[in-house]
Amino acid sequence: MTPQDRYHAGFMSARPNWGKALRAYRRDLGVLLSDFLVLIALWGLASFIWSDLVHGTRDFVSVAPWIMLVACLELALVWEAFAVSPGMRLLGRRLIDARDGRALFGRRLLRVVLLHGVPFLLFPTLATARYTPWHDRFSGFRSGSAAELPDVRKPWYRTSWTVALVALAAAMFLASALFTQVDLVKLFTNAGATAEIWDRIFHPDWSILGLGVRLLIVTLFMAFMATLFGVLVAVPLSFLAARNLARGIVGRTVYTVLRVLMSVVRSIEPIIWAIIFVVWVRTGAAAFAGALALFVHSVADLTKLYSERLESIDPGPIEAIRATGANGLQVILYGVVPQIINPYLSFTIYRWDINVRMATIIGLVGGGGIGQRLIQLTRNWVWDQAIVLMLLIMLAVWAMDYSSSRLRERLN
Amino acid sequence: MKRPKKSKFARRPLSDRLAALRPRLAAFLLDWASWGFVAYGVMYLLNKYWYVRYVNFYGRLTLPGWGWPLVIVATFELAVLSHAFAQSIGLGLFGLRLYGPGYAPVPFRQRLARFAAIHVGLVLQPLVLFTDRPLGTLVHDTERTGRMVRIAKVKDELPAEKPRKWYTTYRGLFLAGLLGLTFWLGWKITAINLQMLVERIEKSGHIWRDLFTPNFSYLTENVIPGRTFSILHYMLETIFMAFFATVSGAIVAFPISFLGARNIMGFNTLGWIVYSIMRTVFNVLRSIESILMAVLFAVWVGFGNPFAGALALFLHTIAALGKLYSEQVEAVDPGPLEAIAATGARRWQVVVYGVIPQIIPSYLAFTLYRWDINIRMATVIALVGGGGIGTLLFYFKNEVGRIPEAWNYVGAVIFVIVVVVWALDYISARVREKIG
Repeated sequence: MTPQDRYHAGFMSARPNWGKALRAYRRDLGVLLSDFLVLIALWGLASFIWSDLVHGTRDFVSVAPWIMLVACLELALVWEAFAVSPGMRLLGRRLIDARDGRALFGRRLLRVVLLHGVPFLLFPTLATARYTPWHDRFSGFRSGSAAELPDVRKPWYRTSWTVALVALAAAMFLASALFTQVDLVKLFTNAGATAEIWDRIFHPDWSILGLGVRLLIVTLFMAFMATLFGVLVAVPLSFLAARNLARGIVGRTVYTVLRVLMSVVRSIEPIIWAIIFVVWVRTGAAAFAGALALFVHSVADLTKLYSERLESIDPGPIEAIRATGANGLQVILYGVVPQIINPYLSFTIYRWDINVRMATIIGLVGGGGIGQRLIQLTRNWVWDQAIVLMLLIMLAVWAMDYSSSRLRERLN
Repeated sequence: MKRPKKSKFARRPLSDRLAALRPRLAAFLLDWASWGFVAYGVMYLLNKYWYVRYVNFYGRLTLPGWGWPLVIVATFELAVLSHAFAQSIGLGLFGLRLYGPGYAPVPFRQRLARFAAIHVGLVLQPLVLFTDRPLGTLVHDTERTGRMVRIAKVKDELPAEKPRKWYTTYRGLFLAGLLGLTFWLGWKITAINLQMLVERIEKSGHIWRDLFTPNFSYLTENVIPGRTFSILHYMLETIFMAFFATVSGAIVAFPISFLGARNIMGFNTLGWIVYSIMRTVFNVLRSIESILMAVLFAVWVGFGNPFAGALALFLHTIAALGKLYSEQVEAVDPGPLEAIAATGARRWQVVVYGVIPQIIPSYLAFTLYRWDINIRMATVIALVGGGGIGTLLFYFKNEVGRIPEAWNYVGAVIFVIVVVVWALDYISARVREKIG
């Protein structure tokens, strides 16, 4: 054994390399955190199901919160010492036996106990000796990569992480059924409440057809204008929001700001945007408000789709054109644009399709078009006219969906 | 005695003849429809700029009884003209082109003859289905008046041609005109008014200010003590509602998707019928937005009940996932299926051992994607009484003017929505990347 193996690089230096030592624990901390979260989720769901079914209350914790947190932490430690936990599986870590494999249970237990000393002993350990912490040294186990162990396939019910995930999914489903007050009995016994609606639906009043078609035209134009202006704004923005084109500190900043802004805007449904724009524009300009809401959402969505496509372009042609001495604009014009024109068109058609769908319902909050009249009719219980508008919406959405998928097929 | 020559007609079934004529019909209908759109636009703009202003301020210019036939005939004539004299958008889209003998261009006078012949042959056109004419030809297709050629089929034989600039072709100019007209119409119909938008900025200024200074006092506190829950409670309700709808929708859509897959069902007549019914149901259900279904379910199980929203999302999820799933089943690699079938396995065994292992990853990815969409929709389904976080959003929005800080509360709700939707979007995208 050479001295270089026996003594780590920082052995003789004045201060130990904390950063390097801690970096070795990053994955193990990630494993602990994931398992902790899985156990918290299981605890919360189990507690919710228990309290709902037994006490008729809604309680996700059931005990003092600190007891739940400590218990989940302890359980996570035990889980990681005795089995392969979801976190270990996710991050590709395994417990590797460095000794001959005897006294496994006692050594695993010792590891759990010694792990409690990590907050107190980690820094002295790092400072004084090699980077082998005490729980590794005395228990004879160390945390290593999954690649070091032979891959043993077990059926799913024999591994604790799959059992835990299945339990989590089942508990989640049961809890969601309780939370959403799923009541199949009510679904059948209360069906009579809709009898009048069904009666009216099957006797449609076609006198509203003319108005419906006119409103549908307004709706389609709302979607068209939103898409058109959305494209005009999103195309230049997408070049600023592509990682591979963002150069320099200004470019990186613009890229980050744009990306964050766009994902925030995208997370808010157009209907919520419409609430704001309906207040902004004058009453009576409802269609304009709806078009604006769709426009804002389209810009965010298209910028994301476009810039992701830009990030995956082939750099070959660009370098070839740059090698001929072309300037930046020419590189974009002859190297980038031919690669992106078809996907951009395809994304635009897709977005138009979505906008037509959204435009039909954006009227529900006063955003104009056919949806506004539809919600008024349903509120006034005029279902025989409402069903005509619904049929028109279905027809438009279906036609748009069909033609857009056919067009996109041709483009690809 | 010589055997009578078997007619081509005997060898070509009617369905082939119809199929060969389909692109021509589609191209013509598209051209007719585009001219119809132009007619609508002209009518609308006439109303906007001339009739309402100078003739009758309160009225609307409508067509007299004879106007409709006139418009129909006129647009038909324009479509026929553009077909006979130019490469129209319909012909371009469906890859058709008029050529004389030997792929020579057709001269003007013969195009004129073609234009006339189309009218003469109008009534006789169905007869071509019962004669020995070559496939895909109509009565007015002769050596003199030229033939419609499908470009994709004879690409190699075509003479080299100099590409023309878009602004020198009929198609480019027509499309540009159409786009301009649509833009003009759209501007007028949606009443876009940028001046008003700028003038009223101060009206919305306080809204933006309030939205950006959210008030989180109801984050965990009940909105109405003892009755209405907190923002976090409703957010949880939204997530659970979407989860329930997605999982139960996926469970139902999984078996159904095999019934909607052509390669599984398309072996006999009964299979075809089931396949067609499934596909139609998927398409019809998919084109009704879940928020519209929720209107009905809110009446059914109670206004504001999350079960109503969950049911609406559930129905829409079945249709959407059913379509995606069955397309995935249709795209499976037939190799393993044939190998399994060759061992003498039954149809269900082929499905279980050949199809399912191939589709599981994409099914999971689609389901995750659907959960994402459902959460987005669940945030607003409360608008029609579907439950979820939207309940609070629209509650606070309707209290504007009555509660002093209403917009700040709306801001808090939107903030929570953004965080949750963004986080789940990110996680699902990462997981889908890993699976797919």
